[in-house]
Amino acid sequence: MSNQHIKVLLAKKKIDVHGRASKLIARELRDAGMEVVYFRFGTVDDIVTAAIQEDVNVIALSIMTSGHMLIAKKLIPALKANGMTDVLVIIGGIIPEVDFEELEKIGIHKCFISGLPGETVAEYIKENVGKVSLR
Amino acid sequence: MSSPVANENFSKVKEDWEKARAKYVAKLKQRENLSGIPLKTVYTQEDIQGLDLATMPGVYPYTRGLYPDGYALTPWMQQMVFGYGTVEETRKKMETLVAQGMEGYFGNKVFNMVLDIPSMYGIDSDHPEAEGNVGQCGVTLCTVEDYDDLIQGWDLNTTNFSLITGDNCLPALALITAAAIRRGEEPGVLHGNSMNWYPRTAVQDIPSWEPKNGYLLMTDLIRYCSNNIPAWNTANLFMYGLSEAGATPVQELAYGLAWGKSIIDACKERGLEPDSFVGRMGFQIGIQMNFFEEVAKLRAHRRMWAKITRDAGCTKPQCMHARVHVHTSGNVLTAQQPLNNTARITMQLMAAVMGGVQSIHSCSYDETIGIPTELSHRTALRSQQIMMWESGLPDVADPLAGSYYIEALTDQMEQAAWKIYNELEEQGGYRQGLADGSIKRAIDNSAYATKVKIKSGKQPVVGLNKYVMDRKDNYEPFKVDTALEVKALERLKAFKAKRNQGDVDKALATVKNACLELRDGQGELMPVLVEAALKGATNGEMCQVMRDVFGWVVTE
Repeated sequence: MSNQHIKVLLAKKKIDVHGRASKLIARELRDAGMEVVYFRFGTVDDIVTAAIQEDVNVIALSIMTSGHMLIAKKLIPALKANGMTDVLVIIGGIIPEVDFEELEKIGIHKCFISGLPGETVAEYIKENVGKVSLR
Repeated sequence: MSSPVANENFSKVKEDWEKARAKYVAKLKQRENLSGIPLKTVYTQEDIQGLDLATMPGVYPYTRGLYPDGYALTPWMQQMVFGYGTVEETRKKMETLVAQGMEGYFGNKVFNMVLDIPSMYGIDSDHPEAEGNVGQCGVTLCTVEDYDDLIQGWDLNTTNFSLITGDNCLPALALITAAAIRRGEEPGVLHGNSMNWYPRTAVQDIPSWEPKNGYLLMTDLIRYCSNNIPAWNTANLFMYGLSEAGATPVQELAYGLAWGKSIIDACKERGLEPDSFVGRMGFQIGIQMNFFEEVAKLRAHRRMWAKITRDAGCTKPQCMHARVHVHTSGNVLTAQQPLNNTARITMQLMAAVMGGVQSIHSCSYDETIGIPTELSHRTALRSQQIMMWESGLPDVADPLAGSYYIEALTDQMEQAAWKIYNELEEQGGYRQGLADGSIKRAIDNSAYATKVKIKSGKQPVVGLNKYVMDRKDNYEPFKVDTALEVKALERLKAFKAKRNQGDVDKALATVKNACLELRDGQGELMPVLVEAALKGATNGEMCQVMRDVFGWVVTE
């Protein structure tokens, strides 16, 4: 799908002020030719609604102030319940690497540590979008 | 200042120097600092020609420091940021920090407490959007009982409570004031800080008040404190926030000082005399990685603020003092090889101390992974204490003064910052730059430029783009027990059950009226919020009423 139009919902919690990295990633994904919807969410339901309305291929979560596990645990079943089983779900920010395995078990496709070039994320998206499913 | 630059001997020495480097000089790459100021490889007496070096610490314009003998009378305040869980866990941490020797001027207790993001945003722990964030990256403080417990046992005359709040700034001050009153003390006994940093929305795209109302609320708090809590520090000029969002050190100076000027202007428009409030404004400054640039920045900053405040009508020296709390940059720390961050933090601390600041928070080396552990947090505090007691750095005020490089750079940083500052002032100042998004665009572009430089390797970052290792450190971070969220909810529920709901409703209706009046430029909100806090209104309830009246907007 690497030459197709890719639409990303970049979801960042509304009450969190840390936006430098997520805004940079948004810009770098746009540089990589993707359409990025930068979205401030209140609850997990907001993410699902926005993902459906915007009909995105990718949900990229940016988490800086904890709560990632809870969000993942709610988001993945909610996406499935709404039939969004072919969306690629990735997460980045201040997330301890020791949590990566559990997040991937829950259904997050890929976890990224902080400080990476946006190209790394873009490459991963291009290689994997459309090829995954949430089961 | 007359330097012996025309000295024949120097000309001869310089010729010899030129000869010595002639073979390779064409190959040298032009270097620049993080602000983009081009650097020479050597600075000489020629570089300080024309600079005013007839200055002393403690004397206007305070380039060399606010106090005549630097740290000799009392060292800087160690103000580690802390706070997690409910007030109970946070109190334990306060006691631990005191036991570890964390103290302020003359041995006073100083607590630099961060509230969790729901509290900062102004929603209580039982709000659906708070789920998963309660007590996580800060302490949850919702009710007057939370604040009762917070101040319990501390002598309010010698204890400083720095409340790291967001848009709940006024309700938080109302709640701690109410707690002091419930303890039978006058509000005037309180010591501490309000952040009052609505202007951060220039760079942080978090929902907040409409700009005009944000400034009305800030000035309301400042006026209340001037009249009722004179020792309270009323506004934190959050240059750290600008820096962390991507501002270069020069941009941080320019926009930070313009931020300060905008508050002075707003208060004057509300009829306040500069001498009555400017002395209670203070700065929080970020320290990035270029050591000399940061020292020069701190020196230029003091000089510029002294000029700005004097021009604004201040006559008291303390109103021209740029009092600075440093927060070492979290953004420059890497998740890769996290222990490397101890070296970065040490460098930043040295810059802050040699720059002569009043108070320091040092980051923990594992902040890029999660919430700091007890060990990393203690090590960050100990780094300050090693600097304070072992290094000899605090012995001499402004020890880099007179260095050709530092004096020339201080001047260059100042000139570069004035250029941005004056352009912004001509266009309507910080408030205009906030409203039209120009400050955000400039800083976002700097953040992007920095990332491009890091990706290309032009700006080396050890462990990230240089000396990279594949090995995962698999570091075990501190985890806040998620059971604390349940505990916080129960605490709030129990509080709400025993308060008189009729009184609360009435108090909130009064708050609403006061908000409507304030929106029209009339009346005072803070005293009404204190009354509401005394009646049992929570942080989230007061904020909700304020949002209803003052508008709540997202800037992108």
